[in-house]
Amino acid sequence: MSQLRALDLVRSYGRTPALRGVTLDVDEGEILAVTGPSGCGKSTLLHCLAGILRPDAGQVLWRGERLDTWSEAARSKLRRTEFGVLFQFGQLVAELTAAENVALPLLLAGTGRREARETAVTWLHRFGVAELADVRPGEMSGGQQQRCATARALVTSPRVLFADEPTGALDSLTGEEVLTTLVRVAREQRTSIVLVTHEPRIAAYADREVTLRDGTVDHTGLGLDAPLIGGDR
Amino acid sequence: MKPPALLRLALAGTRTDTARVLLTAFSAALAALAAFAALNVLAIPTPAATDENAGRWSEQYSHALLREPGLRGGTAFALVLLTIPVLALAGQCARLGAPARDRRLAAFRLAGATPGQVTRLAMVETGVASLLGTLTGLALYLVGRELLDRPDERGQLALPTDVLPHGGAFAAVVVGLPLVAGLSSALMLRPVITTPLGVTRRAARERGPGPWAGMLIVAGVAGFIVGWPVMLGRTVDGPYVGLALVLLIGGGLAAMFGIVTGTGWISYTTGRLLRRYARHPAALLAAGRLMSDPWAGSRAFAALLAAVTFGAGAAALRSYFVTQDRLMREESRVAGGEVGDNPFYLSTISLVDLAVAVALVIAATGLLVAVVEGIVARRRSYTALVAAGVPRGTLGWSIAWQAVLPAVPAVLLALTVGTVLGRAFFGDVVRGSSTYAVCEASEALCADPATREQYTRITESAALRAVPDVPLEQLALLGAGALAGVLATVGIGLLFLRSSTATEELRTT
Amino acid sequence: MPHVLLGLLATGDKHGYELKRAHDERLPQARPLAFGQVYATLNRLQRDGLVVPTGQERDGGPERTTYALTDDGRVALDRWLTEVEPPFPYVASTLLAKVAVALLVADVDRARACLAAQRQAHTARLRELTALKHAPSATLDDIVAVDFAIAHLDADLRWLQTTLSRVADWHREVWHEPATGS
Repeated sequence: MSQLRALDLVRSYGRTPALRGVTLDVDEGEILAVTGPSGCGKSTLLHCLAGILRPDAGQVLWRGERLDTWSEAARSKLRRTEFGVLFQFGQLVAELTAAENVALPLLLAGTGRREARETAVTWLHRFGVAELADVRPGEMSGGQQQRCATARALVTSPRVLFADEPTGALDSLTGEEVLTTLVRVAREQRTSIVLVTHEPRIAAYADREVTLRDGTVDHTGLGLDAPLIGGDR
Repeated sequence: MKPPALLRLALAGTRTDTARVLLTAFSAALAALAAFAALNVLAIPTPAATDENAGRWSEQYSHALLREPGLRGGTAFALVLLTIPVLALAGQCARLGAPARDRRLAAFRLAGATPGQVTRLAMVETGVASLLGTLTGLALYLVGRELLDRPDERGQLALPTDVLPHGGAFAAVVVGLPLVAGLSSALMLRPVITTPLGVTRRAARERGPGPWAGMLIVAGVAGFIVGWPVMLGRTVDGPYVGLALVLLIGGGLAAMFGIVTGTGWISYTTGRLLRRYARHPAALLAAGRLMSDPWAGSRAFAALLAAVTFGAGAAALRSYFVTQDRLMREESRVAGGEVGDNPFYLSTISLVDLAVAVALVIAATGLLVAVVEGIVARRRSYTALVAAGVPRGTLGWSIAWQAVLPAVPAVLLALTVGTVLGRAFFGDVVRGSSTYAVCEASEALCADPATREQYTRITESAALRAVPDVPLEQLALLGAGALAGVLATVGIGLLFLRSSTATEELRTT
Repeated sequence: MPHVLLGLLATGDKHGYELKRAHDERLPQARPLAFGQVYATLNRLQRDGLVVPTGQERDGGPERTTYALTDDGRVALDRWLTEVEPPFPYVASTLLAKVAVALLVADVDRARACLAAQRQAHTARLRELTALKHAPSATLDDIVAVDFAIAHLDADLRWLQTTLSRVADWHREVWHEPATGS
C-alpha cells in the first residue's frame, strides 16, 4: 500500500528550478532509492516528501492527507514521530553526548529521562557504538558519528526514514556497515526508506530505484522505476 | 600580495562577515566618540586666577563638572571608562562569524598563504572597518559640536562646544584606534596562524572552571576594606598611600575580574545541575552548551557585569550622599538654620547613573552579538534538528535558558560585590561635633552689629554617625534593568533563529 | 588456474574430485570447474615436476589418484604469489566493443538504448549480489568474492552512466557532424 505519495511536485530556488513535476509512491516497508546526477533535484524531492520544504506546486500525500498544506508545527510533529531523517554529516548536537543526542527525539516526545537514556544506549549498542554513550561528537570519528546519527533517526521507530547520502562522507567499508545495519533494522520494523544516493553500489540496497534527471523522473528507459528483483528476501 | 588582491581576499566573505565589519565599524565609531569627548573636556583651558575667580573656574559652562578644573580630570576619566564596554562590544563583534572566517583563513593557509599574509588579511579587514568607524565617529563629533553649540539664557554652555582638541590628538585617535584594533585581531588569530589545521578539530574541555574566581572576589573586597582606612588614616604623602592605592585599584580590578570569571563557573555549575535534573529537551540542550563552553557566557556577560558592579557601587555612593545630606540638614536644624538640599553630589551621581545606563545598553548590544553568533555558528546542527522535527520553539527555549539561567546569579553576585565595594569605599557617614553662633532675636536686632553680640549664643552640635541604607530599590532597579536587557537581547536574537534554520542551510556544508 | 590447484594442494594432499570441490568452495562466484580440466591440468603439473601422485585409493567408487605438492611446486606457487598482477594491461571488453560498434553502424539512439539496456542488466545483477552478500547464510568467502564482483559492477555502472551522457558528443566525433536524435 502506498503510504507516501508525491503528485506532480514543482519547486524552485529563486529562478533555478529544482523539481519540475515529480510523481512517485513510497510503499509501506519498501526501500526506495532516488538516484541521478548532482543537481537533478534528489535532495529537494526528499525535503518535500519529508515535509521539510513546501513544494511550489503539486501535492504530498501522507496516508491520503495533504501533508504540504499542514502547518509547520504539525509537520514538525509528524517528522519527529512518524519520520526519521538522516543526512550526510553534521546533524548531531556538538555539545551533547552520543546517548543524549540519540535520546533527544524520545525526550521531545515526553519520555522520561532514564527510560530515554536506556533506549538510546540500546540503540547505540545495535550500531556497535554503545561504548561511546558518554562521548561528545567532536571526539568521535566520522563513522562513529554517522552510526549515532543513524541510531537517532531510528530511535522512534519511524514509519519512513529519509536518508540523504547517508554514507557519502564515509569510506566504503564503514559506509557498508552503517547501511547494512540501517537496512536490517528498517526491514525488522517495516520502516520504509527513501534513500538518496548517486552511487550505484548504495542504490543496490533498495528494492526499487527512481532516477531523476533535470528535476523530473527519467522515464526514457534509463530509469528503473520498477522492482527488478523482489524486495522480499 | 598586491594591495587589490589583498583587499579582494580580505573582503571575500558572507553576510555574517559583512555584519561583523559593520559592527566593528560601529563600535569603533562609539569608541572614537568617547575618546573625542574626553579629549574635548581635557582641552578646556583653565583661566588665570583673578579676584572674582580664585578657583579658576571656567564660567562659560553651566555644569560644575566642566566648570571646576579639579573635576574635569575625573569627567574625562569617566568618559574614557565608557570605552571599556565599547571595547568589550568590539571584542564580541570580532567573534561574530569568527569560526567561518578562521576556516577561510586556514583554507588560505592550506592553499599556500604564509602566516604573514593571512595575518595581514585579517588586519586589513579589522583595520579598514575600524578606520571607517573612527572617521564616522569624527564626523559625528564635528557635526554634533555644531548642533549642540546652544548657549542658554545666561549665556552658558551645557557642553564644551567652544573648544577643539589639538589636531595631534585627533590624529592620534584616528590612527591609533584602527591600529590597536588591527593588532588585537592579529593576536586573536594566533591559532590559525600557527597551523592551518588548528581550527578544524578542537578537543573538548572535560573539566569545568574551578571556583577560584570566588577567592579573587574575596581577596578584592578584602583589599578594598583594608585599603580604604589606611588611605584615610594617612596624609596624602604618608608612607602607606602607595600601598593603599595598590590595594584599592588592585582590589577593585580583582573583584571585577573575579565576577567575570566567576560567571564561567556559574555557567558550568548551572549547566551541570540542569543536565542532572532537566526533563525537557530544551533544558538539556542549554545544559550541554553551558557545560561545553562556560567561558562563552562569561565573555558575553563581562561588560554587562562590569556595568552592574559599577552601578551597584554608584548606588551605594548615592545612598551615602543621601545620608550625608540628611545629617547635614539635621545639624543645621539643631543650629537653628534651614539649609535646603545640596543637589550637587546627587546630580553628579545621576550623571554616573546615566553613564551606567549607557554602558548597560552597549553591553546588551555585545550580548546580542554573542547570542546571534551562537545561533549562526550552530545553524547546521539546528537546521538538522528542525528537519528531524524538533520545534523551533524548543531551540528558542534552549537559547533563552542558556542566556538567562547563569545571568540571574551572576547579576546578583555583581550587585552584591558592587554594593559591598561601595560601602567599603565610603563607610559610614560621620559628622564631627561643630560649634555654631546663633543669633536668637528678631531680625532687626540681629542685623544691627551693635545689638547682635549680646543675643548671640554659641551652640555645639553632637557628633553624628549614620549608616547609609542599603539602596535596595536602586539595586533592584539596576538588576531588573540588566536582566531585562538580557531578555531583550535573547528576544531579538531569536529572530535570527528562523532564518538560520531555513532548509536552504541543509544545502550548504 | 594451475596455480590455484597448486595452492589448494598446499593445504594437504587431494585427489581430483576433492580439488574440484575445494575450488568451488573457495571461489564461490567463479565459473564451476570441469573434471576434465582438473585432470588435464594435473597431468601437465606432473609432467613439469610440480606435483607427484602419492597413492591410489578406492572406496566403493572408481579408483582415485591422490596428488601432493613437490618442492618445485611450492617454489612455483611462492613465485606466483609474489608476482604482482599487471593492473589492467589492455582496455578490452565486449561491452565496450559493442557500444563502439553501435555508434559506428547505428545512430545515437541505438547506442543509448544499448547502454541503457546494459545498465538495467548490470543494476539487476548488482542488486542480486548485494542481496546474496547480506543473506544470513553468506560466508566470508562468499562476501569477499561478491565484493569483488560488486566493485566491478559498480565501476561498470559508473562508466555506463558517464558514457550515456557522452554518447552525443562521441557520435559527433566519430562522424564529424552534428548529432542527430535527442
